[in-house]
Order: sequence, then C-alpha cells, then structure tokens
Amino acid sequence: MPRQKILVVDDDPDLLRALRLRLRANNYEVATASDGYAAIAAAQKERPSLIILDLGLPVGDGFVVLERLQNSDALSGIPVIVLSARDPQSNEERALKAGAAAFFQKPADNDELLNVIRVSLGPGAAQRQPWPS
Amino acid sequence: MTNHTPHVLLIEDNPGDADLTRLRLVEANADVEVQCVDRLSAGLASLAQKRASVILLDLNLPDSRGAATYRSILDKAPGIPVVILSGQDDEALASKALHHGAQDYLVKGNFDAKDLDRAMRYAVERQALLRAVEISQKQQLEFKNQFLSHVSHELRTPLTCIHQYVTILLDGLAGSLTPEQSDHLKTVLKSVNQLHAMIHDLLEAARAESGKMRLEPRCISLRELIQQATAMLRPTADKKKVGLETGLDQRLPLVHADPDRTLEVLINLLDNAIKFTPAAGSVMLKACLAETDPEAVYVSVSDTGCGIPADAKALIFERLYQDPDAIDGSSSGLGLGLYISREIVRLHGGRIWVTSEAGHGSTFTFTLPIYSLARLLSPVAIYQNRLRPAFVLVRVDLMPRLNPPLGNWKQTWQQCLEILRRCVYLDKDLVLPPMALPGIEQTFFVVAATDLQRSGIMTTRIREQLERMADVKNKCRLTITTAAIELARDAMEASPERQVQALADRATELILANADRRGANKEPREKLSNNK
Repeated sequence: MPRQKILVVDDDPDLLRALRLRLRANNYEVATASDGYAAIAAAQKERPSLIILDLGLPVGDGFVVLERLQNSDALSGIPVIVLSARDPQSNEERALKAGAAAFFQKPADNDELLNVIRVSLGPGAAQRQPWPS
Repeated sequence: MTNHTPHVLLIEDNPGDADLTRLRLVEANADVEVQCVDRLSAGLASLAQKRASVILLDLNLPDSRGAATYRSILDKAPGIPVVILSGQDDEALASKALHHGAQDYLVKGNFDAKDLDRAMRYAVERQALLRAVEISQKQQLEFKNQFLSHVSHELRTPLTCIHQYVTILLDGLAGSLTPEQSDHLKTVLKSVNQLHAMIHDLLEAARAESGKMRLEPRCISLRELIQQATAMLRPTADKKKVGLETGLDQRLPLVHADPDRTLEVLINLLDNAIKFTPAAGSVMLKACLAETDPEAVYVSVSDTGCGIPADAKALIFERLYQDPDAIDGSSSGLGLGLYISREIVRLHGGRIWVTSEAGHGSTFTFTLPIYSLARLLSPVAIYQNRLRPAFVLVRVDLMPRLNPPLGNWKQTWQQCLEILRRCVYLDKDLVLPPMALPGIEQTFFVVAATDLQRSGIMTTRIREQLERMADVKNKCRLTITTAAIELARDAMEASPERQVQALADRATELILANADRRGANKEPREKLSNNK
C-alpha cells in the first residue's frame, strides 16, 4: 500500500517542521503550506488524503480555506482536521459546521491526533455515501 | 438631557398635591412636559408607551401602598430616575427607597420650586452617571476577558512548539537519548504540561467571571467519574506516598451534571488534597446521600494535611488565593482551581464548602443534583395544575457507521441535541439529558406532550432536521421510534405531583426496557414510516 499523503497548513515554520517529522515517523508522506492561498494550491496539486489545518493564517484564514475546499468538487471529500490555538468554545462548532472532521486545540496530544488521523484515513472513511435505507 | 423637552411623569392621586407640584414646576421655569396620573397601573401603562425623563412618585396610591409602590416602579422602569414625593409620616420609608435605587426624595409641603428643580436635575444627572459607570465596568470586564483569551492563544502557540520538539526528542525521533537526557526532557515535559493546565485555568476563570461558562448536563454515573478521577491522580499520590481511598455509598443514584466539568472539580479537589498532605498521610474521597436532603449527592474529599486556618476558609474559594504556608510552594499553581470548582458547582445549582481543623486536615464537600426525571418533567408536563392529556416517548437512535466514529463525534452529537431542542415545543415537550447508560449512550429521548397519532409530525420534523447535517446523513444510521406513555387509571386521579412521578416512572421503565434492545422494536418504526 502506498504511503498516504497529509497536507499540513500552519504559518509557524518551526511547528511545520516538527509535525513533518512526527508524521513521517508514523509513515505518512507530508506536504506543507504556510498560508491560506498556498493551502488551496497545494491541495489541488498534491491531492492529499487528509489536511491538518491551522485557523489563524495569512492570505485567507482557516475558515476561508475550509469554505474553498467544501466548494470544490475535487477537494470536498478530503477530511480536514483543524489544529488551532484558538478557544474551542467559540471556534470548534464553527469549524465543524464549515466541514472540518475534527477540532484539536494546541497543544494537542500526539496519540489522540494520530488516532483521529488513522480513523479518518481508515477503510470506508473516504467514501461519503448515505447509509442504504 | 436630550434636546427635546424632558417628559416628567407625576404619579400622585391627591389632586391638591398634584396641582401644587405642577405649580412648583411652573415657578421653577422648568421647560418640561408633565403628565399626571393617579394610579400606579396608569403610571406603568404610560411608561410602556413613552419613556419618562424622570418620575415623581407618591408612595400611597389607590392601587399600591408603601414600599410595594417604589419596588414596582424601580423594577419595571429600570434606568429611569425616580424622585419620591413623601408625606411627613413616611419619610423613613422614602429614605429606604434610596437604597433600592430611587434617586432622591422630597417631603410634600416642605419643598419649593428650586428644591424640586434641583432634585429633578440631580436625579437625572446621577442616573446618567450610574449608567456610564455600569457601561464602563462592562466594557472593562469584556476587555479583560478578550485580553485573557488573546493571551491564552498567544501563549499556546510557542507552548505547542516546545511540546512538539520535546516529545520528538523523547520518542527518539531525532536519535537515541542517554537515560540522563531522557530524564531531563521528562522534567521539561512535566513543566510544559503544568503551563498548559495553567493557561487552561486562566481562560476558565475568565469565562466563569463573565458568565460564559457553559454546562452540558447529562444523566451520569458519579461512580464512574470518581473512578476516572482517582485513576488519573493515583500516580501523583503514589509518588508522594500519600494514600488515596474511596468510600462510595452502595445506593449512589445517577446525577444530573456535566461530566467533563464535574471531573474537573474532582481532579482539582484531589490534586489539592494530595498537594497539601505530607508523605504517609492519606486522602479520602467519599460520595453519599444525606437523609435531610433528598435532592443531592454529597461528595467530599478529606486529607490529613495541615488544615486551613479559620480566617482563610472564607477566602479560599476566591480567585488567586494562595496559602502563604503552602507546603509545596513550588507547584502551587495560579490559585484558580478552587474558584473554578466553586463556579462549576454553583452552575449546577450545588454548594461547596470546607471544614477544617488546623493541624488535622480539611474536608471539601460539594453537592450535585440527583437525576430526577420527575423534577425535569414537572414544569412542562403540568399545565394549569393538571397533567397534560397524553404523552409519547420519542426515541432517536444515531448509530455511527464506524467504530470509533469518524471525526469529532462528541461535537456532532452535541449539534444533534441542539437540533432536537429546536424541533420540539420547549414549553410542553422535554428533550431528556443524554444518558450515559450501556446500550443507550447514543440515543436521545424526548417526552412529548402529544398522542401517537400526532407525534408523526414531530418525528418527521426531527428526521428532516437531523438529516440536514452531513455527518448524520453520511455517517450514521438514524432510527426514530415512538411509544405512548400510558399511565394507570388510578394514577390519573392523584395530585399533579404524583401524576408527574407516575409519568416519570413509566417513561423510565420504557427507556430502560429498551436500553439493551437497540432497534429490536420494529412495530413503532413501521408506524413511523406510515407517517412520513
């Protein structure tokens, strides 16, 4: 099975480097972007299996990115995990309504994050079909 | 005052006094428009129509007398300055009114035009000043909370980086470490986690202060929460050689509380108790019922530490309180834990207190409301002192297709609960708090004041609304079933309170009967599809 690719979007280059290391160590291929515009461009070019997205980003924040992804037929199926320092009480619901699959507040527990990544990429997760009635 | 003519509302039933007051206003050359009414009710009606700049109020009116008069006006017209016109005999009462928010009082027959004019002007000015102070305080609080929220965000960003790199090193992702290096890094990680907890507390305290802390009460097993909390604190206690024991009442009922918040309180209290207990001491967590209070469970955490001096007992729940003689000063935190705990307990409608004898340890006790379906039902199920005629139990099952469910299931579930609440009539139907019971953890129940035939409208609405959520449509199997909650004939003769109890008992029976037979009840579902 080819390695699955994860796109990590964050404007902190140090954190990007750390996440790249962590994800590679868990056998994922990693692409990165550090602003909203680059995130969309990278999603189109790299076609990742999953996106880890910060909310506070230059050139189009995380919510703009979520909206663009949802509005694109080609990209709306990619699960997005939001990883942000913002207060979940005022941002979690909004992010999930905008199409995110999960919300983690920084700093996130590595095991929990990796677990949600695994589940989101797991068998059957990618097909978004209604349950047969 | 604004540039249009000030409107003075004079509430006075004695025509002579009313005329005299008008005369004083004319003498004062006050450029005001006066409206005179002789009843409190007429005054309130006038205020509903038009906002007065100032109210001149006689206390003894045909439809209201004494303190009730000013209470009623101050209550129903907040923010409008009130000057009391008192007689010689009720001057004491008038001065009392000042404590309740009236701006001034004048004794009838004892004031001239100048006095009246000045009293009115000052009343208006003072009220405006008061309002400005209120607004400013509100803005300051808002600013402070925004600032804290911003600081918490800014602190988290570098903390995340530290956390990531420390764990990368510790997990050997950047090469192997010597045991000593690994040890040092573990110390760093411990400090990172402490810092993380403090940032969390800072934000929680700010939330509590501004009334933005939210609870999501459920029907939960306190026993399980206590086990969870003690398991989390066990390593800390072991390390300090402090015993950690629990004593739980065998009959411990389910409680109606927010599980995450309650766990936070338990952890705060246990953590404190362990912190202030010297080695070889012990911490005891008890949960029991009190015969004098049928509505609450009493949870207490006792330690064998140094105890709390009497003068500190009142302060200990305040923000930023620090015990000056704390044994373990290096890790005493921000002093927000007990404040946050108190706010959480208060939001649950409970109490928290401490008893302590210096040198003999302390006991912190708090109460949690016992889950009572009857109590939740009584405001909606009784109408005009009678039980509503028919009730249906609606059962909404959301079965995620994946186990564990994809994404943030807790959040999806929360959204479903909110949608459900929008689908019912909140004045007569009750969406039950979610129940953490085996077999029905992912089931919502509604007690609807309707009959089976008419419940189809509600279930269709619930289905349509829930299926609008992508997560429900794509990731769940949704089934909705209904069952009539039928009461025995003799229950219908009883008092409304007993009827509600009977209704609650019957509903509970239905819920528990189905708890482990998920989806086995075929017939109501077919009925439902007829309704669709």
